[in-house]
Amino acid sequence: MLTDCVDIVTQHDFTRSDLDHSSATNDLVRGVDVIVHPGESDPAADASSQLDYQMRCTYNLLRAAVEEKVPRFVYLSSLQLMDLYDEKMAVTERWKTRPTTEPPSLCYHLGEMVCREFAREHGVSVVILRLGDLTDDAAPDPSTSALYFDDAANAVSKALDAELSGWLDIFHVQSDVPNARYLTGQPWWSADDVSPSFSLGYAPRERS
Amino acid sequence: MNVLLLGANGMLGPHVVKALEPHHTLRLTDVNDLETDHEYIKVDVSDLEHVVEVAEGMDAIVNLSVMRTDRVRAFDVSARGCYNMMVAAVEHGIRRVINTGPFYAVAGPTYERFDHGVGPDVPPQPGTWLYALTKSLGQEICEIFTQFHDIYVLDLLFYMFLDAETHVGEAGDPIAQVGHDLVPYTVSWRDAADSFRCALEVELEAMPSRSEVFFMFPDLPHGKFSNEKARRLLGWEPKDDLSKYWLKG
Repeated sequence: MLTDCVDIVTQHDFTRSDLDHSSATNDLVRGVDVIVHPGESDPAADASSQLDYQMRCTYNLLRAAVEEKVPRFVYLSSLQLMDLYDEKMAVTERWKTRPTTEPPSLCYHLGEMVCREFAREHGVSVVILRLGDLTDDAAPDPSTSALYFDDAANAVSKALDAELSGWLDIFHVQSDVPNARYLTGQPWWSADDVSPSFSLGYAPRERS
Repeated sequence: MNVLLLGANGMLGPHVVKALEPHHTLRLTDVNDLETDHEYIKVDVSDLEHVVEVAEGMDAIVNLSVMRTDRVRAFDVSARGCYNMMVAAVEHGIRRVINTGPFYAVAGPTYERFDHGVGPDVPPQPGTWLYALTKSLGQEICEIFTQFHDIYVLDLLFYMFLDAETHVGEAGDPIAQVGHDLVPYTVSWRDAADSFRCALEVELEAMPSRSEVFFMFPDLPHGKFSNEKARRLLGWEPKDDLSKYWLKG
């Protein structure tokens, strides 16, 4: 089932939604197994609108998910949040995010923060995928954090039913490009030495 | 110092005005009408352009604005209002910002229910209650701005207020009952207001970083939260005695 704040043409079930806090958002998520919520906001929108979408609408959707007992929530964030680290550093999901004050970066960070608090209360299992720069296969000069659409779709597909910690799991996702900036496929481990490690099971398609 | 107050007509606003007016020139703003001898401008803090406009000529901003329950306005005021305030500070080169919120913008239920000795520098865990989370988001926005701009944000966190002289504190009182304890995060209006004077006077360069959070309450015996940082860095000395609430008659 697809939703957007504007009408789109699709062969799938589609519901137009502003993700407000009316019962319509509860109706939207009732009975679904997983919600996939992109953190990308309209770059043409002003900062206030982008912030409002990422904070309030994400909150509304998560609140509805908890109320309707949706078991899993996948939030599509961005590797932009780690871009301030030196490229030489082996940045993984265990590193602190470093957002800027620019709306896209700030919005992803604040969206993650809303997700984190819902996950902490164990009302819904949250999976955060920090995606690389979404890139068309035909792009001549992909960035070192490029993510091709087929790899992105593969990662999202894995996130739907991967066996994870059950509350909050974060994964970095990018494609196999020259000098790939971010590590992917790293298993999460727990310091208690008892809990199993968790992995998304994502591997980028090999490209020669 | 020229000081802009956002949300000056809220619960805490009049007390802060009273504490600051002998020392500073105040420009009061609020979304509601306000009768005052000070300069007053009606401002909705969710209006970016207007917040930037009214911050012109100011040396400091004090943000007292809050909206606790309405789902839309809570994000507008408590979270986006902070973004607007920080953009205004950048725009006008205002280096001192005093933000406010409840203690659970940092120490939400995961700290509040079980732990003791909680200080203001623990990783924020506000939980999902609208008021706590929106204020925490606002605080986070402020902190991120301080990482990229030469602006200091002093975040003063409160919870329950009372008038130490007139508060009755009878059985059933949700804040403080004489001889039957008080909420372990209670402060008098007067002491709370005085903390703003301290935050406006303190030397910014003496702060450990450009974003500092403070728990504001007097010495209480519960050992639940710590006010040590506020005393040490702000030089805040609460004066009102609340001991009658935790001492048995």
